[in-house]
Amino acid sequence: MNVVSRGIKNATRSPLRGGAIVLMLAISIGLVLSMMVARSSVQTKINDVLASAGTKVTINAAGINGFAGGGNPLTADNVTTIKNTAHVASISSTLTDQLGSTDTNLQSSLELGSFGERQNRFSDGSVPTPPADSTSNGSSTTTDRQTMRSRINVTGTTNPNVASVNGGTLVIGSGKTIDGNSSDLVALIGQNLATKNNLSAGSTFTAYGKTITVNGIYSTDNSFTDNGIIMPLATVQNLTGQPGAVTSVVATIDSSENVDSTVSALKSKLGSSVDVTSEAAQAENSVSALKGIASLSLAGVIGAAIAATAIILLAMILIVRERRREIGVLKAIGGSNFKVIGQFVVESLTITIIGAVVGLALGVLVSGPMTTALASSSSNSSTVIISNGSGSTATVARPAGDFGGFGRGLNQLRTNITNVTASLTPQIFLSAMGITLAVAIIGSLLPAWLIARIRPAEVLRTE
Amino acid sequence: MLAVKNLTKTFNTPGGDVMALRDINFAVDRGQFVSIIGKSGSGKSTLLSMLGALDTPTSGSLEVDGVDLAKLSSRQQTSYRAKTIGFVFQQYNLIPNLSALENVMLALEFGGTKPASRRDEATRLLKQVGLDEQEIQRKPTRLSGGQQQRVAIARAIANSPALILADEPTGNLDSETGQKIFDLLHKLSRSKNTTIIAVTHDLDIAGKTDKTFMLKDGKITTKQ
Repeated sequence: MNVVSRGIKNATRSPLRGGAIVLMLAISIGLVLSMMVARSSVQTKINDVLASAGTKVTINAAGINGFAGGGNPLTADNVTTIKNTAHVASISSTLTDQLGSTDTNLQSSLELGSFGERQNRFSDGSVPTPPADSTSNGSSTTTDRQTMRSRINVTGTTNPNVASVNGGTLVIGSGKTIDGNSSDLVALIGQNLATKNNLSAGSTFTAYGKTITVNGIYSTDNSFTDNGIIMPLATVQNLTGQPGAVTSVVATIDSSENVDSTVSALKSKLGSSVDVTSEAAQAENSVSALKGIASLSLAGVIGAAIAATAIILLAMILIVRERRREIGVLKAIGGSNFKVIGQFVVESLTITIIGAVVGLALGVLVSGPMTTALASSSSNSSTVIISNGSGSTATVARPAGDFGGFGRGLNQLRTNITNVTASLTPQIFLSAMGITLAVAIIGSLLPAWLIARIRPAEVLRTE
Repeated sequence: MLAVKNLTKTFNTPGGDVMALRDINFAVDRGQFVSIIGKSGSGKSTLLSMLGALDTPTSGSLEVDGVDLAKLSSRQQTSYRAKTIGFVFQQYNLIPNLSALENVMLALEFGGTKPASRRDEATRLLKQVGLDEQEIQRKPTRLSGGQQQRVAIARAIANSPALILADEPTGNLDSETGQKIFDLLHKLSRSKNTTIIAVTHDLDIAGKTDKTFMLKDGKITTKQ
């Protein structure tokens, strides 16, 4: 029997009370561990998402969003300015247009449907058409609408891969790709449009009064995108009579560290005639909900650690007060402060260690579901943020035909954010054990001080 | 062996200073059995605290074998309590979650006895005060008052102290058991030449000791 064995024995002196203290400690320590796991996992995901955000910056003509809005496209001078801006490694330019039934012999693969009809309630001349039943020959208008089809989207680009849904290389099912920097009358045709019009590589079709050769058929598994035509930028500029004009430029920055400064420089040089957005900024917005969860988890760790400390502290103060006489007796029969305090510290450590073992086991069990629950709530939040923050881009412009890896990249980011996986690393486990040890030590300090202050004479005076 | 000279103890209380002991003077020889009698509040327990180095006097000196207890450091006082003094309390004050054997081993540990010999020594002491093999394994709550006091006495003599201080050692016992405990203490003082100072209300017991001091209002009024 020595200080250590007495301390351990004292820890089990009152099984009911000891059990209650251990249970409360276990819950707190379990919460510490699961919150640490959640924080670490969310933080890792934030870093992954930000790292995968890439270095692309999109410059759109102000007021133009896909085929919506109005204003003037970017000029050749604008493009040159962008290209010459410091840290811009490369650019890909895009000019978008739509083909109506009078512009081409192709038929759209997309039915108008009620949505399309709603969007086409304006006439081709952009003057709102009165509702069918209010016109003088309403029956005729109704018939016309029933036969209407959606327009075909044309993308003139220096980089055909901008049409790729996932931001990677565009999948060419048959034929070959086009040279985006040429001015040849060649095109890539979306799979659905090709099927609808019986086109294959080598076929020709008519658009803008010219005969254009199909170089290849691309497929994106996206019905809207696969109803499009991709041609070299200069070709579309020539065919539409807009030499040098582009609707958007995607600039690749040489380093992620330079994205912010380059965005600022572009805004400064191009002024209010353009809208400049970066993937990094979008990703930053997207992970804001996750950052909130990370902060919440950190607060949870701190709160649970404080709670654990308070539990052991109050329990030990209670025990010391209850055993004042016993402490006095120990001192009276020759027990030194060191030995008496040591005995109570061991008791505190024993209770904390038992609580830690149970709590860490509890934490291992619940950290996975808890992280999943937190990430799930965060993914709901982040979806809302994406819709609100860039809704005009994600919801309106995309259907209008804004091909671009930038938007696809955002979709990928959105997917990434929802995939938070709880991982309990040895470092987290050791940290949790360190916190537990700190809890035991801090929780023993005040009781130790109280023990040192107890004078045996005061206790014996009550005899 | 024990010399108390001009011992005074004053407590500061919210109601003003209270003088618990006033200019106490007495001496005790080695091996003597001394009793101190007095009413409640007369200063008996305070005097015992001074003798046991549990408290320090306000003035005066208190020498045990030539060592002034008032001048000992805190560490020296702890050592003095462990090796030179043995306490026997009215309420026994055994550690409740330790067995009789472990209670005695605790005193041996504080006194510096090596771990290997503590168990045997504690067993010998407990048998010496009259407990059998089964009783020494029991916790205090499973022992009678007389048995608990025997354990307390075994604990008090564990380190062969020069001085045993007993505060109402028979106060919680019936007269027959009290007599047995008194006889045990008396036998110890004779067989081991241990000085025993016992505070008691029991005049029968007081009458059988070598010396009796009567304490009244913090002063010794009678010496026999």
